[in-house]
Parts: sequence; structure tokens; C-alpha cells
Amino acid sequence: MKVYVINGPNINLLGTREPEIYGYETLDDISEKCIEIGKKKGIDVKFMQSNYEGDLVSWIQDAIKNKIDAIVINAAAYTHTSIAIHDAFKSFSGFKVELHISNPHLRESFRHVTYVGPAADAVVAGLGADGYSHVIDLLPDLPIKVN
Amino acid sequence: MPTREIQNMKKKLLILNGPGLSDLSVYDEFYGKLSLQKIEEKSQAVCDELNLDLDFRQTDDEDELFGFLLKDSEKFDAVIINPVGYSHALTAEFARYRLAIKTLTLQKKPVTEVHIANIFKQGSDITKPLQVPEGEMGFVSGLGVYSYVIAINAISKKLNKLA
Repeated sequence: MKVYVINGPNINLLGTREPEIYGYETLDDISEKCIEIGKKKGIDVKFMQSNYEGDLVSWIQDAIKNKIDAIVINAAAYTHTSIAIHDAFKSFSGFKVELHISNPHLRESFRHVTYVGPAADAVVAGLGADGYSHVIDLLPDLPIKVN
Repeated sequence: MPTREIQNMKKKLLILNGPGLSDLSVYDEFYGKLSLQKIEEKSQAVCDELNLDLDFRQTDDEDELFGFLLKDSEKFDAVIINPVGYSHALTAEFARYRLAIKTLTLQKKPVTEVHIANIFKQGSDITKPLQVPEGEMGFVSGLGVYSYVIAINAISKKLNKLA
């Protein structure tokens, strides 16, 4: 199984940005953990992050082209604004998970809207940085069509 | 007795299912044919593996649901709740739900809200905000029976960190 884990703006600051909300783990820590779990479970995990909306769109398109089986996306702030990501995500026919470290619905009202959620199969939020590994760990159990 | 001591050390988890969840035939079968019994069996298996003491409940009675949350919460270390529509409709039930969750989170108990289907897919108006209670709370939606599995795994990890 091939999985892209796509991360949006400011997630590169994990560990230093408001750690009381997002935790002390860095993105490298999380990425390492996911790749390690992936190896154990026979999943090829590719971890990526960008501050640019277009990169996220292009990576979703790459996932379509490269016949990736599942995408886990933390679009961060673009979750609440990006119709472009919504459209790209809709075009991807593999399994789709929207993920957030904190629970956006418990925060400011401008974070209550998700453009990613309606295009996703599932939404996982508020489980901290561990949310990533919990999702990767579970993927082999799900009835995902593997290319 | 040593066995009793080990049992006493087990953390107690309440999984609470709201009105209507006794019949799951309306749900998409992507994750296989669902029934509440299957969810209970799977939850029990995961809890056994993680050494958690599970109390799995469902009620169609609103008062009973909030009673379970508020009065019985002292008996549990963590709660997973499938509140059906209570979490995303601005109704009187939402206000009660919000208060109940706030009470739990003030006690620093891990709470995770789960939904079988992806609730963001249900409405066509994607800009409509989701109404959820205050406090720290996990949220898993759209993974069928696995919404419960991931919530149990996350809560177990959280309880271990708190210990």
C-alpha cells in the first residue's frame, strides 16, 4: 500500500509553535514514527509539507497520477479556505483522511468550516501528534482498494 | 487477592451510543455490514488487548443518555460518545450535550466523539459550521467500526501518558 501524508502551512513549526496546543513533537519526529509504523505494516509512507497551497494541490494530483492508495492530509489553515484543495481531493479516488492535531471545531469560529472534510472519507482530529500514527496503523485493516 | 488488585488497576472506559444507534442498517456498507453488536464485540476485543475495562451502552432515551454522562461519569476514567446529531445541530439537546462534555473535560477525563459516517459529507452546505462542545476532545468521523477502534487506541495512549 502506498500512502501520501500531506501537510500544509506552519506545520513545519511543530514543536515550537504554540506547543500547549500542538505539542512538543516536531514534524520530523512524527514523520519518522509514521515511516517506521509503515515499514512494519507494509505501507510505503511518503511524508511531505509545504506552506504553499499550490504545492498541496500538485501533490494530490501526483497521488492520482502515481496511483497512490490513500492520502492523509493535514491542510492546516487551508482546510478552512481552500476550494482548490477540495476540488483536487475530490478527484482522488483512493482512500482519503482529513487529519488535524488539535480539534479545530473547539477553537476560533473561523476554523469551524472545513472544505476538505466533505471531500474526505473520514475526519480525525484532536488526538494530538499521535493522530498520524493511529491512522497509519489502522490503514491496513480498512477495506482500501490497493493498486 | 492479587487478581483482584490487577482488576482494580484496569482503567474504565464508557462507550456511549445515542438515540437510533441500535439499528445501523441505514449505514453505507463500505466497512462491511454493521450492527451495534459487531461494534461492541470489536470494541471489547480492542479493550481486552489494551487492558481496559469496557462498559458499552446504547440508549434511545435522551434523559438517560445525559444521565449516563453526568451521573455515571465518576465511575469512568474516559468516555467515547457517539452523540448522533446532538453535536452538529443547534438544538436544546446540543446545549445539554455541551454542558455534559464540559463537565467531563473539567475533570480532565479523556473524551472522544465518534461518528460511524463522515458527518461533513451529509450536508451539501459545506460552509455550515459544526457545533461542538468546549473543552479538550478528540473527534473521529467516517471510519465505521474503526472510528471506535482508533478512539480506543488514542484514549488508551492518553491514559497511559496521564498515569
